[in-house]
Amino acid sequence: MDPYLHLLLQGLAIGVLTGILYVLVALGLTLIYGILHIVNFAHGEIYMLGAMGVFYLQVVAGLPFAVTLVLIVVGSLLLGAVVERAFFRSLRGQWLQLVVASVGISLVIQSVAWIAFGIQEKNVPSYLPGIVEVLGVRLPRERLLAAGVGLVLVAVLYLLVYRTKAGLAMRAIEEDEETARMLGVNADRVATLSVALGFVLAALAGAFVAPIYSLNPGMGLEPILMSFIIIIVGGLGSITGTVLAGLLVGVLQSVGAVMFGAEAAYGLVFVAMIAILVLRPAGLLGRV
Amino acid sequence: MTPVLAIRGITKQFGGLTALNGVEFTVELGELVGLVGPNGAGKSTLFNIIAGAFPPTSGRVVLHGRDVTHLKSHDLARHGVARTFQQVTLFAELTALQNVLQGLHRHVPARFLAGVLGSAGYRREQRDLEGRGQRLLEFLGIGSVRDEVAGELPLGIQKLVTVAVALATEPTLLLLDEPGAGLSHEEATRMMNLVSTVIRERCTIVLVEHNMRIVSRYCDRAVVLHFGQKIYDGAPEGLTSDQRVVDAYLGVAELA
Amino acid sequence: MRQAALALVLLALVALPPLAEPYILHVAIVVLINVVYAEGLYVIMRMGYLSFGHAGYIALGAYTSALLSTELGVSVWLGFPAGGLVAALFAWALGAVTLKLRGIYFSLSVFAFAEVVSAAFRAFDVFGGPAGIAGVPRPMFLGTRLNTHLGFYYVVLVTALVSLVFLYRLGATRFGFTLLSLRTRHTEILAESVGIDAARYKTLAFVISCFFCGLMGAVHGHYLRFVSPFVFTFFLSTDLVIYNMVGGLGSFWGPLVGSVLLTALGEQLFAAGYYKSLVYAVVLLVVILALPGGLIQITRAREMGAARRLGWGKAPVTTAER
Repeated sequence: MDPYLHLLLQGLAIGVLTGILYVLVALGLTLIYGILHIVNFAHGEIYMLGAMGVFYLQVVAGLPFAVTLVLIVVGSLLLGAVVERAFFRSLRGQWLQLVVASVGISLVIQSVAWIAFGIQEKNVPSYLPGIVEVLGVRLPRERLLAAGVGLVLVAVLYLLVYRTKAGLAMRAIEEDEETARMLGVNADRVATLSVALGFVLAALAGAFVAPIYSLNPGMGLEPILMSFIIIIVGGLGSITGTVLAGLLVGVLQSVGAVMFGAEAAYGLVFVAMIAILVLRPAGLLGRV
Repeated sequence: MTPVLAIRGITKQFGGLTALNGVEFTVELGELVGLVGPNGAGKSTLFNIIAGAFPPTSGRVVLHGRDVTHLKSHDLARHGVARTFQQVTLFAELTALQNVLQGLHRHVPARFLAGVLGSAGYRREQRDLEGRGQRLLEFLGIGSVRDEVAGELPLGIQKLVTVAVALATEPTLLLLDEPGAGLSHEEATRMMNLVSTVIRERCTIVLVEHNMRIVSRYCDRAVVLHFGQKIYDGAPEGLTSDQRVVDAYLGVAELA
Repeated sequence: MRQAALALVLLALVALPPLAEPYILHVAIVVLINVVYAEGLYVIMRMGYLSFGHAGYIALGAYTSALLSTELGVSVWLGFPAGGLVAALFAWALGAVTLKLRGIYFSLSVFAFAEVVSAAFRAFDVFGGPAGIAGVPRPMFLGTRLNTHLGFYYVVLVTALVSLVFLYRLGATRFGFTLLSLRTRHTEILAESVGIDAARYKTLAFVISCFFCGLMGAVHGHYLRFVSPFVFTFFLSTDLVIYNMVGGLGSFWGPLVGSVLLTALGEQLFAAGYYKSLVYAVVLLVVILALPGGLIQITRAREMGAARRLGWGKAPVTTAER
């Protein structure tokens, strides 16, 4: 096979896998936006905390992986609930204050993380070492695992939102909050649930990405930037849009990196975002 | 004599839904026309099309003989069209006078640099505008609230402020969207008296109304829409005896 | 009363520096630069647009002037306005697309743009890559290069004063006043119905905002004598938003107060590194929860009335209704 074509295919494959991970982080954002109409800038920090959690709990403290995961899930659920109660609830309806508050929370978490974790990069050993070859394309098992988990979580989210009572309540609030309230939906509980869920998604994404990249307290910035681009392209509040856009961005960035270099790939993604926005100002599947 | 406004075959479709179907009528200079119809008849859609919020699927809007169908709302304002909105829309954080000033701005060039430098001419212009704003508020009987924050005024006064803002642009055609809505009987009467006496002397008016009684009492002419089609165009006295109008409103209390 | 206080401050700013230590001058310079940045951002915040990407325009200004002086030997005095113009140009181009977007879409777009600018500066060698451009010269004045803190301080002071006076007066014009009417989608529709071409106003406001940020960015670059992508980061953009929020959006003085207090505080904490961000963030959260109108609310509680709580309500997303 032509080497360049091979590289492109490789890029495509990695792009899809990476895209799924982006989707995970972006989904949490979309979820929170859909219900509360705020963009949670602190999301990248939750992702970082998930990854750091694996490092400190599993590598440093030696806890078994399963226990680590459970602790991370519980921890992020609690953190989400606390943040919603303490900040988002009292600022409900004030878009500007909410966004800036989430920036503030993000800064607090990051600053504390730098102080507590230090600048030395940390590494988490691979969960599933080795490489799988498919049609000459080399796929690290680690990434396959992460993507697999990602797919499972997306499926779980779909089930939750479209097949459970809680999900019904969430969709009702998203559709028309006043009517939903009048029909007895407990908007406060839905809000707390959405934020908590969103945080779990981000933390788990971080946990499974931990062995792939090295960890540092600032690692949340790139995923959140990508997530923002994804939800703009996919449309705020649309789960399907986020999934599609996530894959698109992942592939575009990966293939773009092969063709033009990593930094230029950023530019490509951005140009694509602007182009889509010009054509469809609310995003591919956006609805407000 | 060229009519002020001519609606020519306006059709508007939203996806599969036909909101307006071949609506056709004219408005002559100085008339006070009432656009009526039950809920969902297409009145607001037509208003929005005339005011430039969105274009029709087909048909033309002709203003003083000029085709203005595809003009945006800020261009239409320069052609002498002003409107109020169904839901009271104001610059809530500004005072009543400041609200009216926004409407007056179009009469003077922006003169940005002169403003920054604070030239005497600029300041004189500002004082002049404030005087005009004050007089406009007084014209509508609400001069006393000039320095009150608009968002905190009672609804009846707010509606008068919105009319003042629209009048500030010195329109030749004024579109009033349900001027009586939400008002008490007294306030609505006060509003309609103003509209039908002093305001109509300044411009041609088309108003959208639910309430047939208001239309019968104050308007020169009534145009009735039903499911996007015009079913009546003539003297308001004839409304209650026109079979099509009666059928359209069957079951609706306002007809009494 | 306020006139007297201002005159006093002005006098202090002009007369005291020759007596001050270089470190004090450094703090003063940084404060002045940040005040202009914050007030530049305020121009678009007053019309309801939140930008987390102003560092991108600042960087454009800084790099333009740095490149002009190091590669082409252009006089620094020309470099400053060139920086402003380049930033303004990009603002005009980007504005055409992004200003149609409202609320969070706009914020995210500008944020993404700033990151791309940063990535571009890191990627290409002509911009110096991650190391940036060193050896950016100070301007010449009457035959001497202004290499001292004191000398450059006056450059910064003059630029800042001119910019701030312009920006302050902007708020007093019909133009500035009209920007207030564009704050939400509903008021924008109302403004359009009375003949205000919202797109033109917004674009001009954005261009002005970015011009002054680019101008000051150029000054900033020549002060540091180098430019790099790590100086003009997302954190700078966030800082500017924090200055605005903490100071209060009710008037021109809000961002001024916010930036002076926090920058001065920040410089004291700078040695401690990450503690500065932590303190900023905590102050921000406290203000948002306890003092929604910002610090100036304390002094203007009576005056503001309904305008006190300048929350903008639920975020409108796009004005592209047509």
